[in-house]
Amino acid sequence: MTIIQRCFMVGVLCLFLASSPSLLLAQTPPGESSQEVITLLKEQNSKLSSDLRRIQREIAALRADLEKPGLKEVFAGIGYIFGLFGVAAFVASRRKE
Amino acid sequence: MHISDGVLPISVTVGGYVASAAIMAWSAHRTNSEELPKLAVVTAAFFVASLVHVPLGPTSVHLLIPGLTGALLGPSAFLSIGLGLLLQSLLIQFGGLTALGANALMMGLPALVCGWFFQKYKGRTQLRQVLVGGLAGASGTALAAIILAILLVTGGEDFFGVAKIALLAHVPVIIIEGVVSAFTIGFLARVKPVLLKPTFTRST
Repeated sequence: MTIIQRCFMVGVLCLFLASSPSLLLAQTPPGESSQEVITLLKEQNSKLSSDLRRIQREIAALRADLEKPGLKEVFAGIGYIFGLFGVAAFVASRRKE
Repeated sequence: MHISDGVLPISVTVGGYVASAAIMAWSAHRTNSEELPKLAVVTAAFFVASLVHVPLGPTSVHLLIPGLTGALLGPSAFLSIGLGLLLQSLLIQFGGLTALGANALMMGLPALVCGWFFQKYKGRTQLRQVLVGGLAGASGTALAAIILAILLVTGGEDFFGVAKIALLAHVPVIIIEGVVSAFTIGFLARVKPVLLKPTFTRST
């Protein structure tokens, strides 16, 4: 990205940030009771928190999935077992000679 | 049924290591070099059996087969279980590495007891071998649960509470293992009875 493009993006962002409070103010006429705004905000909050909880549950499930041993570990273990006993058998047979 | 890191006090952890190392040495001493292939196969089976999960309501328990291991291997079972548990804790995060000694005791002692029991009472007929084998397989897990409770008492738990929970949670496993052991031993008695020969009574 060129510098000009980056400057442009930052400028647009600044403009948006600067204009948003006035937009909000314009959307809520002074006559409207603040109660409605509060209930709206509360609704949004509860929705967001339920979303968050769902995501947290998903993360926990993913983490549990990640901790589960895969096929790789199982075959590695079996290989270790056979290998170690193979070495033991080799040593035992050498000793017998 | 595995004890995790940091559950047991240090004295019990060290004691478990010392005791299981001593029994391991005895077990290795009693192991005949001609039996190493059989030992390897049973150890691999023991290692993998822990991955067979039995769904039980919200949780799940897995097979342990200390009884079957003991019945098939006799005195060598402790060696096999020690190695199996070491690899399980290293590769598939079952039980902590520091609690390995206690875990080996928990699974290995029932294996030795069940192996001795099986070799002593198996008799000569196939039916009796199947019955005694099933009984040995089932009691292995039950004994392991009781040893788990004894070990956890040293960590400050209530013995009867833990024993009750551990036994209740493993009732399905105990039943399934009894059936699995009975079938395995019945199959071996029919196909290869030499695998079931008495290892405890034979002189070294």
